[in-house]
Amino acid sequence: MVKLKAGIFDIEDLENVQIEIKEIMGEKMPEEEWALMGPTPKPKIPDLRYWDRILLKRYPPFYAPQCDTCILCTMGKCDLTGNKNGACGISLEATQGRFVLLACMIGTSAHIGHGRHMFHDIKSMRGPLDKIPIDFGSEVNIEAPLTRLIAGVKPKTLADLENVLNYVEENIVQLGDSLHTGQEGSALDFESKAYQMGMLDSIGKEISDISQMMAFKFPIGPNRPLCDAGMGTLDTNKAVVFVIGHNAPPATDICDYVSDNNLDDKIDIGGSCCTSLDANRYSAKVKLAAGLGRQLKVIRAGLADCIVVDEQCVRADLLSQAKKVQSPVIFTNDKNMHNMEIRDGDDPDKIVEDLVSGKVPGVVLLDPRNVGEVAVKTAMKMKDIRRKNNWLLSDENFKKYAESCTNCGTCTYQCPQGIDVGKANKKAAEGDPSALSDQFDICIGCGRCEQVCPQNIPIIDMYTKAAYMTGRIQNEKGKIRQARGPIFDTEIRNVGAPLVLGTIPGIIAPIGCGNYPNGTRDVYTIVKEFASRGYIVPMTGCMLIDAGFQKNEEGKTVFEEYDDVFDKGGVLNIGSCVANAHIHDAAIKVANIFAQRNIRGNYAEIADYILNRLGACGVAWGAMSQKAASIAAGFNRLGVPAVVGPHSIKYRRSFMGRKDKEEDWYVYDARNGERVYVGPVPEHLLVVAETIEECIPLMAKLCMRAADTPAGRSIKLTHYIDLNQKYLGGYPDDWHYFVRSEADLPMAKKAELLQILESDQGWKIDWKLKKIVEGPKVRYDPSFDPTNIKDLIRAKKE
Amino acid sequence: MAELKMAPFNAGNVPGPKMGRVTAPAVIGKMIKRAKRPLLICGSNIEKHGSIDKAIEIGKKGIPIAATGNAIVAFRKKGYTDNVKYALLTDLVNCLCDPEWKGLDGKGNYDTVIFIGSLYYLVSGVLSSIKNFAPHLKALAIDPYYQPNAEMTFGDIWKKQDDYLAMLDEVIGEL
Repeated sequence: MVKLKAGIFDIEDLENVQIEIKEIMGEKMPEEEWALMGPTPKPKIPDLRYWDRILLKRYPPFYAPQCDTCILCTMGKCDLTGNKNGACGISLEATQGRFVLLACMIGTSAHIGHGRHMFHDIKSMRGPLDKIPIDFGSEVNIEAPLTRLIAGVKPKTLADLENVLNYVEENIVQLGDSLHTGQEGSALDFESKAYQMGMLDSIGKEISDISQMMAFKFPIGPNRPLCDAGMGTLDTNKAVVFVIGHNAPPATDICDYVSDNNLDDKIDIGGSCCTSLDANRYSAKVKLAAGLGRQLKVIRAGLADCIVVDEQCVRADLLSQAKKVQSPVIFTNDKNMHNMEIRDGDDPDKIVEDLVSGKVPGVVLLDPRNVGEVAVKTAMKMKDIRRKNNWLLSDENFKKYAESCTNCGTCTYQCPQGIDVGKANKKAAEGDPSALSDQFDICIGCGRCEQVCPQNIPIIDMYTKAAYMTGRIQNEKGKIRQARGPIFDTEIRNVGAPLVLGTIPGIIAPIGCGNYPNGTRDVYTIVKEFASRGYIVPMTGCMLIDAGFQKNEEGKTVFEEYDDVFDKGGVLNIGSCVANAHIHDAAIKVANIFAQRNIRGNYAEIADYILNRLGACGVAWGAMSQKAASIAAGFNRLGVPAVVGPHSIKYRRSFMGRKDKEEDWYVYDARNGERVYVGPVPEHLLVVAETIEECIPLMAKLCMRAADTPAGRSIKLTHYIDLNQKYLGGYPDDWHYFVRSEADLPMAKKAELLQILESDQGWKIDWKLKKIVEGPKVRYDPSFDPTNIKDLIRAKKE
Repeated sequence: MAELKMAPFNAGNVPGPKMGRVTAPAVIGKMIKRAKRPLLICGSNIEKHGSIDKAIEIGKKGIPIAATGNAIVAFRKKGYTDNVKYALLTDLVNCLCDPEWKGLDGKGNYDTVIFIGSLYYLVSGVLSSIKNFAPHLKALAIDPYYQPNAEMTFGDIWKKQDDYLAMLDEVIGEL
């Protein structure tokens, strides 16, 4: 390569010379100085390790290995039982950290892959990225808080986000490298890397969602229309196109085709998982028919005349399941092609003919613009063919199968929930389908049972039939507000003070998948309980969909009962999984707008602020995927605890605090560097709850923070105690840990609680003044400025 | 006992080379009897299979009880709370894995933990924590399921409640 020095050049007689211009540096303008750059813009693996170590010291990983061996290299299989080391030297403990990092990498790659794929689609469907501005309107000035916080970049167009995505992708590769045999050997460093991965996941989600919002003009803000939700809303009088997955451009093309050709009275579009949520943001006609747990049931119920899938959380046996009910499948994403032929460029009518005739069970169409016509035409033709069949079991066959069950229990051994199908079959054989219908909701729709039944009973079909017989599916009709995306800056201004002071007791964020321990009703219970108590409840993903078809006594869903505002008692549809970046964003914006903290490249300080001040708790009651693992890691690193359902023990790792270890709960007072005991707040960072009755009070507890005012702590403690009484039948054993003075006590129970403090804890009470004289280990100081980061101490104590 | 299946209740739950031993109830009873610091951990399924009454019988023999999930409600309903404390299962087992933990009563960690009324897959996970990271603990499972991560466990007998209750009686008979 010839490097030219500065000067004026005149090159003569150029012939057969190829000049490749990669980047014109003169046009690369320096970014406008919008804030001072913090200490860690675009952090790499070691840059935030000090913050991770602070978290990991207080909340060390608690491992529950799912497998005691390692089989990743050819030196194994290695028996690591009892925390032995394998042939490469890695311990079982470190192997758990390694596995967690791997899971987080898969999850992050899915979200980042979504973003990268989205950019490719946007370029082809909407034009150059630098011509698409990022503009959320006048209510949102801090347009990309995670991007500002992590990358130190204030993006103006999607091209700016693409640059940030390059940073993210490079770091994923570096973290992936650490998974190789003979690299990292420390469980704690694996966890630090999992945190790094989770942080990349969070910024990647933000990039993905902002991109799709801007490119496809998704709506923004509150007062969104109510949209149909639930399996029962699919209108089989029309041809049904059913979309599944997490990457919506193909679904938007279907919406466009239906609108452009005035086919609304002939085509019904429904979906499951995040594609339905994102397609619904594009067009409210798209029905949010099902979360993940209903995917197989919708297919096997034969509701879809054409299935269109993109990526993530799509059943790997979708094609064979769809074949059973004669539903053609269009695969639209290169990550998910199921050995079908790529047919972009072929005559759409020929593709439709091949699908309708059954010549091929499915096709791949990788250009989203090719999907709409094929999907709609296929569905319309298939409707006439498919409606001749009844895909539900006949009454006669239902009875026959129920009677053929020998109650051998083989299915129960395979069932992740351990459902006793045999018992329900017995009732069905006697003419009562109600038990099978109830199990329809508890079943997570995996289908493992059918493969092992010695009588070849199609158990999923039995569930579906029973659910129709009892009217469950027909009545599964609810309403969900269309997703609203980011929280307005004005909303943050209104709630910043009440949230930090604690008078709004917290943000409860239900997110994630449908692997619930006991059916979908638990989701409604969580949302209803916290919204009615004035918590703010922003939701994303399948948990949000599953909340949408449960109703109160008046027949209203939580989306009809509560406003979609980010304020006391609000219930919000934020959007799909990638949209849950906006929940992170809300927390960051509280630090920025309310507390005036500089967020630019300043991750640790903001996470420290959130951990100590902002009462927020995520809940993924049915977490299933690796994406849920990376999402949780991202929330946790940012200082937000999360409660997960009992199946999540299979993620292998929780982050558990120990309230009995007093030394773990000291922070600095940033004013003078004094070490101050603050009590176990929040007690855990990632914790598995066993039942919904345990989960709900636990979430209330995890909203307590070191900086709570007495009024705020009193409100939070009121809910914690009250929820314990409601769901567990008594006072919690540990409520006294959270009492700093009599001002923290719930007003209505003050005398009773003082009595208990005196009798059970030995605290001294001045009964005349109703004051605690001696006892609490934690003291409240209104000027207290808690921080876990030594560098944030403003003046060292003499 | 020989006919009891040594197959995980969740068929794919085969953790590795060290699997729980299906053990006769009387032997398990003797193990509990011999323990210096036993703890009965009752899970959210404690009302299934008639386990709650047997757990109370064990509690009345002086063995302290940790009630996880919502099991505490079942004990309160039965009016038995003498030596029963609520515990979050993962929190409890995290503490159990620490030999220096002071226990629910402040008198030190336990040497034997017995699981009953378990949510199968959840307890299987925490039994793995104990198996791999708590060599100071013996973990016994007296649910009607085979628990591969316990040191000693009943076999699968979940379809025969009377037989299961008889097995629990055998355990109790040894205490």
